[in-house]
Amino acid sequence: MIFGPLLKLACAAAATVALAGAAHAEDKVVKIGAVFPMTGNAASAGIHAKYAIEVALDIINNAHPELAALPLAKNAGLAGLGGAKVEVVFADNQGSPATGQNQALRLITEEKVVALTGAYQSGITLTTSAIAERYGIPYVNGESVASNLTERGFKWFFRTTPIATDFVRVYYDFLTDMKAQGAKIDNVALVHDNTEYGTSVANTIAAGFKDKGLNITDISYVSNATDVQSQVLQLKEKKPDVVLMISYTSDAILFAKTMQAQDYKPPLLLADDAGYSDPAFLKAVGKSSQGVFNRSAWSVGPPGSPSAIVADMYKKKSGDEMDDTAGREMEGFFVLVDAIDRAGSTEPAKIQAALKATDLKPEQLMMGYRGVKFDDKGQNILASAVIIQLQDDGETYLTVWPKPNAVKAPVLPYKGWQ
Amino acid sequence: MSFILVQVIVGGLLLGAVYALFSSGLTLVWGMMNIVNFAHGDFVMLGMYAAFVVFTLFGVGPLAGVPFATLLLAALGVVVYFALIRGVMKGPMLAQILGTFGLALLLRYSVFWWFGADFLSLPQNIVGGTLAFWGLRIEAARLLAGIVALVVTLGLHLLLTRTALGSKMLAVAEDATAAQLMGIRPDTMQAIAWAIAAGATGLAGALIATFFYIVPTVGETLGIVAFVTVSLGGFGSVPGALVAGLLIGVIESLSGYLIGAVYKDIVVYALFLSFLWFRPQGLMGKT
Amino acid sequence: MMRRLIWPALLLAILLAYPFVFATPFQQRLGALVLLYAIAASSWNIVGGYAGQVSVGHVVFFGCGAYAAMGAYAHFGLSPLIGLPAGIVAAVAIAAIVGVPTLRLSGHYFSMATIAVAELIRLVVTNTDYLGAAVGLSGPTVPRNVFDLSFISALPYYYLFLIVLAITLLMTWWMTHSRMGFYLRAIKDSERAARSLGAPAARIKLYAFMLSAALTSVAGALYAMMFGFVDPDSGLGLLISVKILIMAALGGAGLLFGPLVGAAILVPLEEISNSLLGGKGAGLTFVVYGAIIVLIARFQPGGILTLIKRLLERRAKPRAKEEQRLATGASHAP
Repeated sequence: MIFGPLLKLACAAAATVALAGAAHAEDKVVKIGAVFPMTGNAASAGIHAKYAIEVALDIINNAHPELAALPLAKNAGLAGLGGAKVEVVFADNQGSPATGQNQALRLITEEKVVALTGAYQSGITLTTSAIAERYGIPYVNGESVASNLTERGFKWFFRTTPIATDFVRVYYDFLTDMKAQGAKIDNVALVHDNTEYGTSVANTIAAGFKDKGLNITDISYVSNATDVQSQVLQLKEKKPDVVLMISYTSDAILFAKTMQAQDYKPPLLLADDAGYSDPAFLKAVGKSSQGVFNRSAWSVGPPGSPSAIVADMYKKKSGDEMDDTAGREMEGFFVLVDAIDRAGSTEPAKIQAALKATDLKPEQLMMGYRGVKFDDKGQNILASAVIIQLQDDGETYLTVWPKPNAVKAPVLPYKGWQ
Repeated sequence: MSFILVQVIVGGLLLGAVYALFSSGLTLVWGMMNIVNFAHGDFVMLGMYAAFVVFTLFGVGPLAGVPFATLLLAALGVVVYFALIRGVMKGPMLAQILGTFGLALLLRYSVFWWFGADFLSLPQNIVGGTLAFWGLRIEAARLLAGIVALVVTLGLHLLLTRTALGSKMLAVAEDATAAQLMGIRPDTMQAIAWAIAAGATGLAGALIATFFYIVPTVGETLGIVAFVTVSLGGFGSVPGALVAGLLIGVIESLSGYLIGAVYKDIVVYALFLSFLWFRPQGLMGKT
Repeated sequence: MMRRLIWPALLLAILLAYPFVFATPFQQRLGALVLLYAIAASSWNIVGGYAGQVSVGHVVFFGCGAYAAMGAYAHFGLSPLIGLPAGIVAAVAIAAIVGVPTLRLSGHYFSMATIAVAELIRLVVTNTDYLGAAVGLSGPTVPRNVFDLSFISALPYYYLFLIVLAITLLMTWWMTHSRMGFYLRAIKDSERAARSLGAPAARIKLYAFMLSAALTSVAGALYAMMFGFVDPDSGLGLLISVKILIMAALGGAGLLFGPLVGAAILVPLEEISNSLLGGKGAGLTFVVYGAIIVLIARFQPGGILTLIKRLLERRAKPRAKEEQRLATGASHAP
């Protein structure tokens, strides 16, 4: 007689437990794909990118009240999606545009990622994002600088990093300031390799500088050079006021060594990130490259500041100091996940809309951009960089320009080795 | 201006001497056994890493790294000979190319897996400083490498032409069956040739480690340089490799300075191809 | 005779059905890639396997096709297909220039010349703005019509490549059964003997080389159209030469279906092991790759098909073996 109601109660209880269990199992995981070079010539960059993103995942998925300024750090998981965790599936592009594209396809169709990031080399970002565009998957790139990436009329591609045209502005303003302090800047030698990075950046800077009336000498070399004596001798002969280096790590190291061997010190040595930011460069020839200027959107603030905390976490994870490229990748990733959070959904169209509406303020970033806001080509118009310098026999760069961000004043002329 | 030109040429000669050294190993093997060793560049790479390891473990410079690299690579040469080369030597060329190419991949990516992708280098104070004389500035490390390269190359040549061992090796190269009939064991001679060739290559690698960057993929570029040097010098001719190496070093240096660095490789390849057209046996090779 | 057609017919049926059995976009694309590489490797096979001239710089022909296709679009706004004939012409011209002096010398010179030419052209292209320099050339990002050959799905590519592969294999088969094939076998066996019997060895090898170049450039053009992009590394890099050479050798150089077998093994192996291991930054894929290649070279340079053939022959009864040997004796050399 009491069985009837008891049975109903039991069923109700069982149903509730089952539903609760099911709801628990539906705690969403947001899957994002990351395509980077894990093998091949650029493997070092790819592996560091992976560390950077893993640090970001730690910050996003766990509660980090000490980083409250950064969106997504305070709580564990994504608040906009009910505390969902973010998971990243990494894929190796092997330095090949074709492999990058294939892997992107796999991530989209098999792993069912809701968005993509990567791919370091501009040529690979080109093909990888093309697939994302076809499938209507948001793609946020944090580090590739080729200008054509945002000239394709794509609707799903967004880029947070400053590009060559931004650097022209930064470099010119910086050099003008140095001129006011007494340096000569009229003759600039652009030393670059013949990769897509070297040629496109050099061309953009050359055009921009010529417009402002500076004299440009173009010195190109083959990347992964075995010997750069000829180039250094050319510099020695031409005696430019400013030497602007656009090189990857191995060539940067070789140039530093050869310049020392040939006893050549340019009055002002400015580097365009890349190799000169690589910790390997600093380890190998940092002590003999004192006074080299570099551009960066990354600099470590005082202890307790978000950048210092992030730098610490990165060092613990990777064993290396955080460099500008890894930082830019991390920032790109943060921007992407922030958009997903604001979208409150994993639907591509909603994420795309959230990305378009992005308006992050500088204090919400770990990088030194003036903010993040995308134009209709998908380029971050508030991307910028500061100028850093290697000083005081240290092996880390210090921000020296512009004045508001500067920790120390710039030191001229170039010291090199002592 | 002409001063700088002299500097350019001297720089080219020193670099060329090193090219010559690691190419003489290749030409020896090629001339003796008609084997195309596509893993050659990676042998050089291993020599570089060997020197690096010695430095990291014991903190000593090239004086310890070089013999270690030489012996290690010589041992590897023997192993490779018995495990792989002996089997593919008599086969079609395809098998040889495949075999050594596979070996190249194996070596390169094992090193990548163990050491990672980072660019390593030995600190500058190992063979430090730059020597300045007659208005020229020459890096001590490069000078040392150049001189040792010359000495070893000459030593190799003397070994082949003036010693009993050398004549036995040449006999096997010329006609293995006849040599066997005269009591020389082809297997032993060829293994020795591989040991010497690999050892010389390891030596070269350890020497350049003092002024080159060390990375697993460096074998690819150096391998091509070795091939061009050997083809230009003539397969099987060690003096040819020396002359060709020096020539290539100077041409590279000069064209880099006069025309522009991006064209220097093009000039070298074009030169190489025109030799293939008009003088395929190279400068000093036997046809 | 009919019995011998069973295997090819079965193969064709499998190939036709593949994209419907393995129907996810990634699997279909993988299939298309296998066929694409099979085309390139089968083209290489003509000069490398049948003529015995190991071209290690074959990628230069691949690049001719890829750059011609992308160039037609990037510079003239035309469909990449229009660039195809230009690529073929360029490839054949290069083959002639390289082949004429080197094919009359012994094997090594030819191999070295192919590497040198490939690297030379890669360097020239890297420094030529008109050809995209280091940045490369892109194809149409949004297809304007079907002739742009820019599809989202891999299915059209799959069947297109299948047709081209069939044509390539048919041409190879026809060549081996022609007089040229007869000469090639003689030359491969012993060039000296063949020459003394009047075979125009250098000329025959040259024709094989030129044919191989033309077909490889087609493969290159198709590749560029599928990926919509080419740059000096992806279109003229030495790694591509190595890959097609290894696929042909792994499957069986000098055998009609060898390259297809090799491609069918290596392409998925690379993609799948990359997907499994790649993200962990291991590079173990290439270590395994290298080891496989060394083993093949050392123990079975005739490739997998040769291995299978030998196993089958050993199992067959002696009488059937005799019959088989008579039947297959005229088709191709091991």
